[in-house]
Amino acid sequence: MSETESTMDKKEDSIFDLIEGLTPVDPTQLTEFQQAMNDEVIPEIVRVVEERRLLAVESRNRQLKC
Amino acid sequence: MYTWIPLGSSADLAQLASQIQSEYSPGVVAQNLASNLSNAVKAVLIERNYVDKDYRSTYYNFYAKKGQRYRPDCVRLHFFDETVIFEEETLRLRCTDNRLQDHYFGYMILRPTGIATIGRSVVSPDVRNGASGFIITAPHKVHLLGYQLFVEGFPSMDQHIDISVCAHAACWSILRHYSERYNVYREFLTHDITMMAQQFNPGGLVPSKGLQVSHAERVFQEAGTFPVHVARDINKPGDLAFYRQMIAYVESRFPLFAAMHNRGHAVAIVGYEWRTPATSGLPGLRYAWDEVKSLSVVDDSQLPYLSVPAQAGSAAYCALDIDAFIVALPEKIFYPADAVDRLAPALFKLGAVVGLPKQDETIIRYFITTGSALRRFVRGRESEFDPKLLQTIMTLPFAQFVWVVEFATEAQWAVGQIAARAVIDATASLREVMPLWLLHSRSEALVFDRQTVNLNLSTGIRALKLAGMGQTAFTRMDQNLRPTQTK
Repeated sequence: MSETESTMDKKEDSIFDLIEGLTPVDPTQLTEFQQAMNDEVIPEIVRVVEERRLLAVESRNRQLKC
Repeated sequence: MYTWIPLGSSADLAQLASQIQSEYSPGVVAQNLASNLSNAVKAVLIERNYVDKDYRSTYYNFYAKKGQRYRPDCVRLHFFDETVIFEEETLRLRCTDNRLQDHYFGYMILRPTGIATIGRSVVSPDVRNGASGFIITAPHKVHLLGYQLFVEGFPSMDQHIDISVCAHAACWSILRHYSERYNVYREFLTHDITMMAQQFNPGGLVPSKGLQVSHAERVFQEAGTFPVHVARDINKPGDLAFYRQMIAYVESRFPLFAAMHNRGHAVAIVGYEWRTPATSGLPGLRYAWDEVKSLSVVDDSQLPYLSVPAQAGSAAYCALDIDAFIVALPEKIFYPADAVDRLAPALFKLGAVVGLPKQDETIIRYFITTGSALRRFVRGRESEFDPKLLQTIMTLPFAQFVWVVEFATEAQWAVGQIAARAVIDATASLREVMPLWLLHSRSEALVFDRQTVNLNLSTGIRALKLAGMGQTAFTRMDQNLRPTQTK
């Protein structure tokens, strides 16, 4: 294996290795947020963004003159 | 070529009518100035035979083709305070402190078109009666009598009526601001804007038949920006998310092209004013939009910085009449404001980990900024931050743009402080569960590794205990809009 390949294969440092004082987070503390994002927030975001796109389509043809 | 008019009172502006030829409509302009400029303007210098590039662009392409003869030159009016005097023999402008720049309030060009004669103008908001709050401005260079002056303001002009309408004027104002403020954008003249709106040269008076919003969108695209067109259901004025993102963009220093379809009118939104903070005592999550008293707009039928109330009242129109806006964004802002608007309240689900204020006692404010502006803000307030948090902000590999969400209690809002801040990746995708770089309060922070967080939550998030920040205050990150200092 060439030196270049060996360097490329080397695992990139995580950003966490560069910041002092970080500690792992108990995953159970994130469950409620994760569930809310998956079940409510992301579907709502997708719905709203699509709705906004359709409203923009309607709005595009409206006339401005004064 | 130059005439100095000292003003004892606004009534003295009527002298413009005797000094300027009628095709510039000096009488109408004088009345407008008398009603809308503050008494701090104590002198007007009339500069005749001024070659205005914007008027010339319409002259070469339109007025010169007409049977009626139009002059090719304009008149430029310059506004000064009481400390400046003009020496007619030497054509010198003098002031006691030799700081002419500090006593200059800007200029207004008059076109020889008979009607709607106010052309390219940049006037300081400080001398506009009724202007208030924070205004998006850029420094505009002015060459006058060998002096180089600057005026901080937002460009404005009357529509030409025959070859441009309100929407053209709003596009022109915004793009002229961009070309002065950001060197990545080139300058577009009035006639360029009229042409950019169409796929082909429509010729003649077609532009005066009006524009559709899609044409304005096209102008911003042609200018090299990435326009985002946000509309609400015109039958549902209660779409508060629409207004929340509108103020978010203005607070992010993006002037907005705003359409009011019930009036068939378009303006540029260039600023806002907060309500006087008052303890409401009412529970419930609030947003920055709920704290807005008025918007400042550049309306081509008025002098700039017209204050438009947030709610309906005695004014001709209010912010609620706006039902669509276009924000001319730079590239690389993929995560839309609608997503931030829905994500921000969901972050309270992490409140127990980070220590956010109670949801129903919080005011949420969100805006776009650059990673470097965020770092500059933090660097300027090092004492507010635990060194570990400062190191985190300096180390995270932000994309160029980030959304910032600030959480403040009512008491903190009143004094310009916040309790917590989230930094969201503006290049995130809609369906990301963790589109965040950072969420921090004064006691805890959550740091997100954007490389891994959406693959594995437990390895992609770390906590950071913050010390020594219990008693310090976090300052709200204002985006350097210019506060109006009424004169």
